[in-house]
Order: sequence, then structure tokens, then C-alpha cells
Amino acid sequence: MTQTLSGRPVHGLITRETPVGHVLVGVKKRATIQLMGSRLWGRFNPNHWDPVYAARTGLKAPIQTGEMSSAYISEMCVNHFGAHYLRQSRVVCKYVASILANEVIETGGQVREKTPKGHGFRFTVDVWAQNEAGEKKTTGWVEVDVGVDADPAAQP
Amino acid sequence: MNTSVKTDELMPMTELQISQVREFVDGLATKSQTYWDMVHIGDELSRELHITPELVILYADAVEDYNPWYEGWTMNTWQTEGQSPFGGAIVPPLLVSHFVLSVQFDHTKPFAVGSIHTFHDTEVLEPIPVGARVRILTRATDKYVKRGRRYVRHEVLVTDVASGLLYLREVRDILSL
Repeated sequence: MTQTLSGRPVHGLITRETPVGHVLVGVKKRATIQLMGSRLWGRFNPNHWDPVYAARTGLKAPIQTGEMSSAYISEMCVNHFGAHYLRQSRVVCKYVASILANEVIETGGQVREKTPKGHGFRFTVDVWAQNEAGEKKTTGWVEVDVGVDADPAAQP
Repeated sequence: MNTSVKTDELMPMTELQISQVREFVDGLATKSQTYWDMVHIGDELSRELHITPELVILYADAVEDYNPWYEGWTMNTWQTEGQSPFGGAIVPPLLVSHFVLSVQFDHTKPFAVGSIHTFHDTEVLEPIPVGARVRILTRATDKYVKRGRRYVRHEVLVTDVASGLLYLREVRDILSL
């Protein structure tokens, strides 16, 4: 099993040789109400943590802030791209459906395209976050450069 | 409206806690205006953020990301240089994207309740070292209606206060009540 430079085992860092169609192993989380109501998110929008307010605005339950599923997708990308993801990458996310409190969310990704760039490639990966029923909640894509520098040792 | 929904439906609370929550939520609703009305195209807002090790831990714990690259603070050692492929500890890539919210919503005015973040297109250009001071600059570029819903679009730049290095660039949309 490949490891990141920090020694964390992952299911295979993406390299120049990784083919189109490669599937990323995601991360899985529960939309826990205590985390949704963290001061980190402000607590100024009760739709994110108060069942009563959420019901008044027509929601079945409090909904996660979109930033949380973007963070989950980002965690998956760090697991698969390592340090490459931290430079000159692009992350596009659209929140297509609300993540309700207590839903279990799993991220996923699949390499859609790899465009030659420098000595390597710019990878385009379709990404998403979905619930256990397979309903997509967040969709988008990321672009990450892999191995584009002449000297691989110069890359983190 | 579903009147059977209870404040303590998703987490245990005493009657005192429930009354505290209801008072807090009622206060939020009466003080704010809609985001649509708060923002005018061309509005520019800017703030500095010191990304302390503790702030990074707060974020990482809230999204349950335990990557050691982000640890500039650990229990027992407290503040530490940390380790990552870039040297010391770094900031999770989308942390500053979250704090854009505290800039595009003018923090000197009551917050606009009921708004929802719907989209972001983010360029992560350089890793941010834990401890950096960054400037977040937002500019309102568009207000539009799509399928009867009102959206406000912003463009964002995040730079290092000391060096001017551009860390992150973003376009983001907020759905307003």
C-alpha cells in the first residue's frame, strides 16, 4: 500500500501513471447535530442546528452547512493526491441537495480526464458526496497537477 | 409547519437548555435582514484573519479530519511547529474558504438568517502555514434570480498579510431568503 509523505496509509496515491476511470476511496461521516451546531459555523443560521427553526422554513431536519461536505471531499483529495492537492488545484462543488441531520454521507470520486502538463498531467476528477440511499448531495470536480515538475524530488 | 418538532429532538436537553435555545433563536430572527437586501453589486469587504493552531484544530475537529499535517497544536505539547510535506503544519485546504463567510456577510451588521451557501469554485494556489495572517477580500459581482430563487455571487482573494502571496481564489454563490 502506498503511503503519503507523512506516513499515512491510503489506498494508492495518484501518480502520473494512474489511468482515467480510476476510482477514489472516499470518506464516510455522519451528519452529527453537535458538529453541525459548532461555533465554528457561526450558529447564526438555526437551519443548521435547530429542528424547530428548520421545520418552520420547510426543512425535514436541520441541514449541514455545505462547507462540511466540501471539507469531506477535500479530505478525500488529500488522501489521494497528497501534497499535490495543496498547490495550483481547483475544487468546484455544487450543493444540489441538503444533507439532513443524522444522514450518513460518503464521498466518492473518479478520474475523468488527464491532460498532459509539463512532465506530468493535470488530472480532472469528478467528485461527489451522497447519502446511504445513493442520493447525490454535493457534486463537482477537482483539478490537480501531478508530476508536472522536471525534477520529482523538487516536489513535496 | 410541523408543530410536533421539538428543540431537543436530536440531542438531549433540559427544559432550561431548551428555553435558552428558543430565546437565542428568536433573537436572531428579529435582528436580521435578508442577505439579498444587505448586499449591493460592487460591495468590497476585507478582513484579516490570524490562523492560529487552535483555530485549525477547531475546524479539523468539526469536519472530523485528523490528518497530522494540520496539527500545530496537540494535547500535552500545546503549540508545536508540526510536520507536513511543506515543513511545518499547514492549514486544511478549504478552511479559509469557510471563513470567507465572515467577510461577505458584513460582520458589523446583524447576520442574515436563512441564507444558504450553494456553490463554490475554489483555486487552492499555495499551502498556508499554520500561524499565518491572511487577508480575505470579497467583492459582490452579481445578484440574480434563477427558478424563482435569489442568489448573490462573490469573488474572493485570500493573500498573506506579510508577503502578499496569493493563497486562494474563489467564486461563490449564496441563496438568499
